[in-house]
Amino acid sequence: MSTAETPVTQVEKKQKKKTVQWGDDPKIGFVEALYLPAIAGGIATALKHAFFKKRSTAQYPEQKPEMPPNYRGVHRLNRDEEGRVKCVACYMCQTACPANCIEIIAAPAPQDDPKWANRDKFPATFTIDELRCIYCGMCEEACPVDAIELTSIYDLTGMSRQEMIFDKEKLLSVFDETSKAGLDPVRTNRGALGPASEKSLQSADSPPPPGRGKHG
Amino acid sequence: MNWYEIWTELWPTLIAIGIILAVVPVVGLYATFVERKLAAAVQDRLGPNRVGPFGMFQAIADGIKIFLKEQIIPSHVHTFVYMLAPCISLMTAMFALVVLPYGPTPVNYDGGLRFVVMPGLDISLLIMFAISSLSAYGIILGGWASNNKYSLYGAIRSCAQFISYEIPMGLSVIGVILVAGSMNIETIVASQSSGDGISGWNLWWQPLALVIFFTSALAETNRLPFDLPECEQELVGGFHTEYGGIKFVLFFLAEYTHVVTVSFLTTLLFFGGWHFPGVPSEVTASYGILALQMLVLLVKVCGVVCFIMLLRWALPRFRFDQLMGLAWKGLIPLAMLNLVFLAVIESLEWHRWPLAVLSVVLFVAAGYWSAWQSQSFVRKASVA
Amino acid sequence: MSTVFVNDIEVEVGPKDNLIQAARAAGVEIPHYCWHEALSVVASCRMCLVEVGEKKPDGTIAMGPKLVPACQTPAKPGTVVKTETAKVKTGQQMTLEFLLLNHPLDCSICDQAGECYLQDYTFKFGKAQSRLNEPKVQRLDKYHIGEQIALFTDRCVMCTRCVRFTREISGTAELQVVARGSVEEIDVFPNKPCNNKLAGNVVDLCPVGALCSKDFLYKKRVWWLKSQKSVCAGCSTGCSIEVDQNEDHVYRLRPRANPLAQGHFMCDEGRFGFKYVQSDNRLKGPTSKSINTVGASVNAVTNGNGSVAGKLFQPADLAVVDHWPAAIQEAREKIKAAVDANASSFAAVFSPMMSVEEAYLLASYLKGLNRNVKLLMGPVPVVGEDDCYPKNVNGSAPTAEKTKFTIRAEKCPNRMGVEKILKHFQGAVVPIEEAIQGTHGIQAWYFVGGYATPDESAGWVTPAIEKATESAKLLIVQDIFPSVLSKRADIVFAGSAFTERDGTFINHRGLAQAFRAATRPPHASRADGRVLNELCQRQGLYNTEVLRKEIASKIPSLESLSVGDLGVHGVELQQLVGAYS
Repeated sequence: MSTAETPVTQVEKKQKKKTVQWGDDPKIGFVEALYLPAIAGGIATALKHAFFKKRSTAQYPEQKPEMPPNYRGVHRLNRDEEGRVKCVACYMCQTACPANCIEIIAAPAPQDDPKWANRDKFPATFTIDELRCIYCGMCEEACPVDAIELTSIYDLTGMSRQEMIFDKEKLLSVFDETSKAGLDPVRTNRGALGPASEKSLQSADSPPPPGRGKHG
Repeated sequence: MNWYEIWTELWPTLIAIGIILAVVPVVGLYATFVERKLAAAVQDRLGPNRVGPFGMFQAIADGIKIFLKEQIIPSHVHTFVYMLAPCISLMTAMFALVVLPYGPTPVNYDGGLRFVVMPGLDISLLIMFAISSLSAYGIILGGWASNNKYSLYGAIRSCAQFISYEIPMGLSVIGVILVAGSMNIETIVASQSSGDGISGWNLWWQPLALVIFFTSALAETNRLPFDLPECEQELVGGFHTEYGGIKFVLFFLAEYTHVVTVSFLTTLLFFGGWHFPGVPSEVTASYGILALQMLVLLVKVCGVVCFIMLLRWALPRFRFDQLMGLAWKGLIPLAMLNLVFLAVIESLEWHRWPLAVLSVVLFVAAGYWSAWQSQSFVRKASVA
Repeated sequence: MSTVFVNDIEVEVGPKDNLIQAARAAGVEIPHYCWHEALSVVASCRMCLVEVGEKKPDGTIAMGPKLVPACQTPAKPGTVVKTETAKVKTGQQMTLEFLLLNHPLDCSICDQAGECYLQDYTFKFGKAQSRLNEPKVQRLDKYHIGEQIALFTDRCVMCTRCVRFTREISGTAELQVVARGSVEEIDVFPNKPCNNKLAGNVVDLCPVGALCSKDFLYKKRVWWLKSQKSVCAGCSTGCSIEVDQNEDHVYRLRPRANPLAQGHFMCDEGRFGFKYVQSDNRLKGPTSKSINTVGASVNAVTNGNGSVAGKLFQPADLAVVDHWPAAIQEAREKIKAAVDANASSFAAVFSPMMSVEEAYLLASYLKGLNRNVKLLMGPVPVVGEDDCYPKNVNGSAPTAEKTKFTIRAEKCPNRMGVEKILKHFQGAVVPIEEAIQGTHGIQAWYFVGGYATPDESAGWVTPAIEKATESAKLLIVQDIFPSVLSKRADIVFAGSAFTERDGTFINHRGLAQAFRAATRPPHASRADGRVLNELCQRQGLYNTEVLRKEIASKIPSLESLSVGDLGVHGVELQQLVGAYS
């Protein structure tokens, strides 16, 4: 209450006083008043659980849980068919990231390397702070070329904060691990790279990728 | 009295003390393990199962961990009292054990191996109660020295609770004393002997006293459903909020020692001690029989300990007004009525069976009274 | 003036305006690619097609039968323009579909994305889909267009703004259209790259992502950049610019159209010459000879860490003790002592890199101590001669009336402003070169630098100045780069560059423009105005508007500054002719 009380608030206060009501204790019957049957009931429930119910503990390191397909775990950077990083350094994930955990430094693709001939831009560095990340999956949503994905790896641990800052190599190695093991097929599963990363997509005989509309 | 005589007097005492000092901490540690396993079972879990077979060494690992912990003394505490409180707490808890026979002990002890530190004491039960009521002291000191309002709340609650439950506890035990005609625990145990080894237990003749005693004893040990002084949700742990590491362990150990003490007392006073059908009731010099009787006693005690632990997971915690109401409005009148009728029956030198009937009648009557009270008592919708 | 009706809104327009400008006056946007205010009209992109009619004197309106390009149609009296009819909208959609026919849609890697007119107009006027089923024409990127320019050929919409710029503004005519039809491309002659001093402007002119600056290529997505209106400090033209920065790192400068200053463009010297502000060589904090620790820890902590620009404050920076109060206190005491001992042997050297406010603060402070303190004009850097554009076919400068852009030889932004201050406080401007001839008798110096000379050996300190200050009893240097003087100085104040300060520059023809701090000064250096404000022990914070009003009230020749806020175009000290329009 403020110090300057108007007469109106005082009146209100008086009226309010009567609005507080006691709740009566619940009425109890004879059996309840004896206490002992209720106690016996409690003990019976406890014993029933102790002896007749199935234990629901999962023996974790030996017994791995199965993650639902839409589980969002550690990130990975996908590779294209030629083994290059799929990412084109468009910064969409960094822009979309609500936790500011992605940092990309872009560079022109190496022009003298024939492997990179059909690419203009690529990420020179790609860093994700896995500790800062909130695993919302917005980067995955934002990516126009399906390069960044969240895997089903849930048991991410490390001995230092530095260790939990994943660079491009680490993120690519996550892809190698998960895709080799068949744990995480390309989840977004659009079947092809986006128009920015792949030239063959534009050829007339290849059908347009599903889910992207007819005309990229 | 020469040195030899002193020595013959002394060595059984030293052994008895040694056994208590060696066994009680281990029992305390393993009681935590058993409790965790039991809790897990009740909650459909597995409990500790990583350290050693079935997680058996978990208790030891916990012990090592907690002993190696950094000793932190908060800057705002009264250092001396803060350090003293857990010591007092454990000391009084262990001290109560001196009159408890943890094995078969004859009524008239005269030298040799024995299972009690102070044998043949006519006021052993009195000593027991006198010392165990001191345990509130450690808690109150700890709560006060912590210089923290929650700790102090815990301590004050503890104080009120101890004072309240001392009364029904004492009253209920007086019945047992009257029946046995002695305050000597060995005599009380001996008085429960009978031909079949089971019908002489006080359990059958004074069930009401048992219920009152056991309830009060739970309150005295700060065990659920009466662990108001240390309830985490309300008091951030209560009197031991500021304690960590080994100092916390001392409080903890004291609590478990209390549990053991209470279990022993319950067994000795109401469950016939080392008497059991098929086991000789006289305490003889035969080691085989002694071992058998001791086994009987310890199994009974373990049963009571497990029951106390089970209660923790079966019952919810009392509210503080309910706690006080139970003692003052329920247990104390009931215990007094029980005592009065019991004294009358004893002085008339009747058979014991009316005692059992009396207990049941009183209990049922109390239930009716309580129910009637609840039904008829209508509080007016009053102004706050 | 003539009256035009744009979507039934009546507007008055000038005699030379076209319909795009008329619509703009009415608050209606007519999309366009090829038309630019400063360039000739070609009407090649067809994006600005609108319905045009005429309002007859009797009030009836006769609409034309087909769409006409708004850029090419003069706004004559009674013209009626419709931009929102179904016909116009269909036209816009079809034009966009056509322009995007062979466009690679690589916005995700395109530097223009975010400020691209293809994106914007497609969003506002375009249709969502293309009907092209055939493969798109793909063309090679051309990195050989110029030292600073790369051409992403397949993004081009052939608006030819860049071609017209090199022909009409720079006069160098390097760019051209080669081939015709669907294989039409922008290119240069073999081995004749587009490297003229205005070449960088074609990147700004390009409405799409075809011409990109190699310097800025892939450095930052444009939506991260925050712009601040500023003034280029490269020469005395004082081009209005936008400073685009992110996290205290300046990524690029862009010209800001200002008819009073330079027009629409800026030169490459200014555009790419700002790099010195984030040089590792910058002075990192105040240092003092007498208090050895002052500044030493600053430089120790931040050495080798100099390239953290673009990062936020490093934790190490936060641990640095603030040595500024001690250094300023010491300087104030020493100046007082030196002036009290012999005022005429105390000289302050003003740099033409200073803002009007800073010069005023220092001059009024020192003259307030003693009238006999000498105020000298520091070295005014002059390189070559004024460079005028457009060049004619021989590559020589145009006549004065045909000049559309000039790069001044005087490589400092504010000589005129500082001279006006000195004139007011001392009656005459004495250059330092003049003052140190022969036996000058100056024992105590306060030097203000701030020149864009990251290279110490090519610094602004001439041998004559070096010799004149050798026997100085007190040497205080306020600069941004280490020099011979700063090494010898008793006290060094680490100042800041033009992107880090607030102030006023007065250009060669007396146009006062405000520039605003875009970034924070690096490490423990401080904005010069703030340092001087504390040195003078003035009340309150350094506030340029307040100072401008104060200057205007005290100095008659700077009376125009009394408005305080100089606006985006600046304020002319007196009405001058010859402004670009």
